[in-house]
Amino acid sequence: MTPAWTLISAFAGALLVLLLPARSAGWARVIALAASIVGAVAAAAACLAKLQQPAAAAWSFDRPWLPELGIRFHLAANGLSLSLLLLTGLVAIAGVLFSWNVTQRPRAFFAFFMTIIGGVYGVFLSRDAFLLFVFYEIVIVPKYMLIAIWGSTNREYGAMKLTLYSIGSSALILLGLVVAYAAAGGTSFDLDYLASVKYAPSVQSWAFPILFLGFAVLAGMWPFHTWAPTGHVAAPTAASMLLAGVVMKLGAYGALCVAMPIFPLGFVEWRLVIAGLAVVGIIYGALTALTQKDLKFVIGYSSVSHMGFILLGMATATHWGLRGAMLQMISHGIVAGLLFGIAGRVVYERTHTRDLTELQAFDLWRSLPGAAFAFTLATAASMGLPGFSGFVAELAIGIGVWQSDPWLIGPVALGIIVTGAFSLRAMHRAFFPVRNAAAAAAALLPPLTWPEMSAIALLIGVSVAIGVYPMPWVTLIDDGLNSPLFHSILALP
Amino acid sequence: MNYSALFIQLLPEAALVITALLLLGVAVAAEARTHRPPAIDVITAIAALGIAAACAALYFSPLAPASGTSLLVTDPLARLFKAVVLLLGLLAVLLPPARDEIAQPGEFYALLLFALTGLLLTVGTNHLLFLFVALELASLSLYLLAGFSRTATAAEASLKYFLFGGVSAAFFLFGLSLLYGFCPTLTLPAMAAALTAADGLPPLAVVGLVMVVVGLGFKLAAAPFHFWAPDVYQGSPATSVGLIAAASKAVGVVVLVRLLLMGFAAAAGSAAWGDLQPGWSLWLGVLSAVSMVFGNVLALAQTSVRRLLAYSAVANTGYLLVALTAHGAHSAGAALFYVVVYGLATFGALAVTAAVERDCGDDSMGSFAGLVQRSPLQALALLVFLASLAGIPPLAGFVGKFAMFGAAMAESTTQGVPGLTWLVGLAVIMSAISLYYYLMVLKQAFVRSAADALPLQLPLAHGMAVAVPAVLLILLGLFPALLLSPLTQALLVTLGWV
Repeated sequence: MTPAWTLISAFAGALLVLLLPARSAGWARVIALAASIVGAVAAAAACLAKLQQPAAAAWSFDRPWLPELGIRFHLAANGLSLSLLLLTGLVAIAGVLFSWNVTQRPRAFFAFFMTIIGGVYGVFLSRDAFLLFVFYEIVIVPKYMLIAIWGSTNREYGAMKLTLYSIGSSALILLGLVVAYAAAGGTSFDLDYLASVKYAPSVQSWAFPILFLGFAVLAGMWPFHTWAPTGHVAAPTAASMLLAGVVMKLGAYGALCVAMPIFPLGFVEWRLVIAGLAVVGIIYGALTALTQKDLKFVIGYSSVSHMGFILLGMATATHWGLRGAMLQMISHGIVAGLLFGIAGRVVYERTHTRDLTELQAFDLWRSLPGAAFAFTLATAASMGLPGFSGFVAELAIGIGVWQSDPWLIGPVALGIIVTGAFSLRAMHRAFFPVRNAAAAAAALLPPLTWPEMSAIALLIGVSVAIGVYPMPWVTLIDDGLNSPLFHSILALP
Repeated sequence: MNYSALFIQLLPEAALVITALLLLGVAVAAEARTHRPPAIDVITAIAALGIAAACAALYFSPLAPASGTSLLVTDPLARLFKAVVLLLGLLAVLLPPARDEIAQPGEFYALLLFALTGLLLTVGTNHLLFLFVALELASLSLYLLAGFSRTATAAEASLKYFLFGGVSAAFFLFGLSLLYGFCPTLTLPAMAAALTAADGLPPLAVVGLVMVVVGLGFKLAAAPFHFWAPDVYQGSPATSVGLIAAASKAVGVVVLVRLLLMGFAAAAGSAAWGDLQPGWSLWLGVLSAVSMVFGNVLALAQTSVRRLLAYSAVANTGYLLVALTAHGAHSAGAALFYVVVYGLATFGALAVTAAVERDCGDDSMGSFAGLVQRSPLQALALLVFLASLAGIPPLAGFVGKFAMFGAAMAESTTQGVPGLTWLVGLAVIMSAISLYYYLMVLKQAFVRSAADALPLQLPLAHGMAVAVPAVLLILLGLFPALLLSPLTQALLVTLGWV
């Protein structure tokens, strides 16, 4: 089973769901689940094969596509992209399970959902800049539709804001890629070729920020993050999970594996600016999350803070930093998916409120103990407690920062402390209110259903697995970081 | 001169003219016998058959220039674009007019065929005077088509179109006469030779070239010469608008490419930042920037979908001119590709708008509410058209824009520094802005719900006029080399740059 099955299963799933006759619309979720499982299994199989035979020839699929411009349909995967494929597959399964109760236009819902998954797989697999951009942009219209049609709070505004930020950032990416293509002689869009070209420093110093900013906006870099909380809150549960869990990772992945290798000198020039913005994002996101009233907004701003860690890891330009950035991508993908799933599906659909004060009335730790237990574990993972994936990632980033810019450790530590504060506050207010137990009997809420429980178990299991034994993931990531793509960055003084 | 060879070469045009005359005859006969105009279905069927015959004639016509002059050429570029024009014309015929919109179908479709004839002749000549005559044949027919529905808005649209068009024709002709003064020849290859020999254009000839570009700018609806477009798009019958928006624009780009690259490549100058040199490239760059900004900003404020498409036409002219500004074969080839897919997308969007309009009475955005419940396939087709216009993959509009911008950057690069970054950057940002107004329409169609979710049925022909462009846009988006490679090759062969 080649990694291509991830891509094929997602798009075939989308098409199949779309072609379902109206009377069997109920099968949409089953098809989507099956397609997601096929994708995740294909990704997992490819990861295992890579771990067992690290030296085996990598799979690739390479055909001419638009010869006039030197564009090829080139898919390939190293360990780094394989680990992200697996993340996408896992979040996709959890997303379908958390959307098991969607009854409004289910065919369209799951078709858009699977299209986004397919686009994300495609970005991680593309080795041609044009192809990567195609997959990157495919997700834009489905994102809009998912939020605008199935969303909740302020959905049309949130959807439009998110879409305009996305398209604006992809305009920058397009411009940056075209500059790289033209300056390299206008013969090829191959990413490895573009990364091997030595661009003039004067071009790099203005072309790098264009390309990097394009990706970083989607990664939620402060001060261009405002689309993220609004969009995530407006989105339906599965879309929030996808957006925070994997779509934001597209931005981080592009910044790390496209912008930085293509313009390494520009990166050096702008490195400290990025680090500074990342640290501001970490602290700002955490402080803002501390004051939110809506549980989903807390998670939305925590995403901004966590994505700041990813950008900071990249900005260190050290092996540990990049490794940590990658681990944080995977960790945040899992944890954000879990938090949004619990807040948006498990809690909101039973209580019809996400307001931290109103939630107190439900005594969730008594009326919905499963959710309270799961949210506690997710909070621990999000805070970066040892034993969970977040700890490994933040530790690696911390080492990277210590190696490159030790003076930044102080603000980062502050960010970690505030993260603990807002996480505990939200958990405490929402699930463990201090109330006089005799004053009110807890409302009766329906217990967790099997799709919810399996999705929660899947995501928590993965987070703990990474936290306890991160070695396979680190091996996969290092396989990517050791490729020629990163030589120019990791060899920097 | 061998008349039989000439006739064979002109067989596609002849087929169209004969069909047009036949239509007029049928109309007269029907009026004489029944005192009523002929049935519209009969007329459109005959017109469609005529166009199909012209396609067949084109397919079997010889490639070599039979007449040996520049008057009529059948180079690969001309053949490809004759096919494109015929396809777009056929789609326009398939799109049925609204009830009682067209009182005399015989005359209407005869004029449509005359317009097509003019457009075919326009793409197949290297001779400036012949070009002018052919362009006027097309334009005069289009003026009449624009005002055919006998409503006040159509009359206003037609008059505006005619007045602006007349002025632009005057500019065009005056420009040509000045160019003729520079070297006494009217054929493009001879002018190119004279230009190379003379080492640059004298000032008066430069003025002539500017006037010619201004004249074509009117036809292409480039800002600031676009004032006719919104009224024509809104007031005229959908069939006429489809022809004006798609076929006429494609031909305008071909003429511009032929004229500038074949005749005046040596006077291009440069619009590269830091290396600005006077020449038509620089003016096109400015025209392009103005069109993109004007079109996109004004489109943001529209509530009528037809007017929105008109301003989108202005903006898209701007993108096309970006590619021509780079004055290279690959960017021009990409522009030719883009104008075809742009035409298909705009035509398709107009066809869906016509269907909605027929049902709801107007083309305001609110009329599109709940389209996905009323007709899922039409809503999906509208998504394809508008997403293609906005440049969203995997649709052909995206590939077209990417190819234009990529080639323009590559061909303006000197010593590793891309010179057209300023223009391409503006184009990319403007293109991103355009998604907003296309999404406003799609929001109505997909997110809002209709007051009454009655199914919206389409007659078969109308369905074809929607489905064919949608399928082509998806196909060309997935396999762009199918059209882009032949177009670029044809352009290289035609220009003799191979």
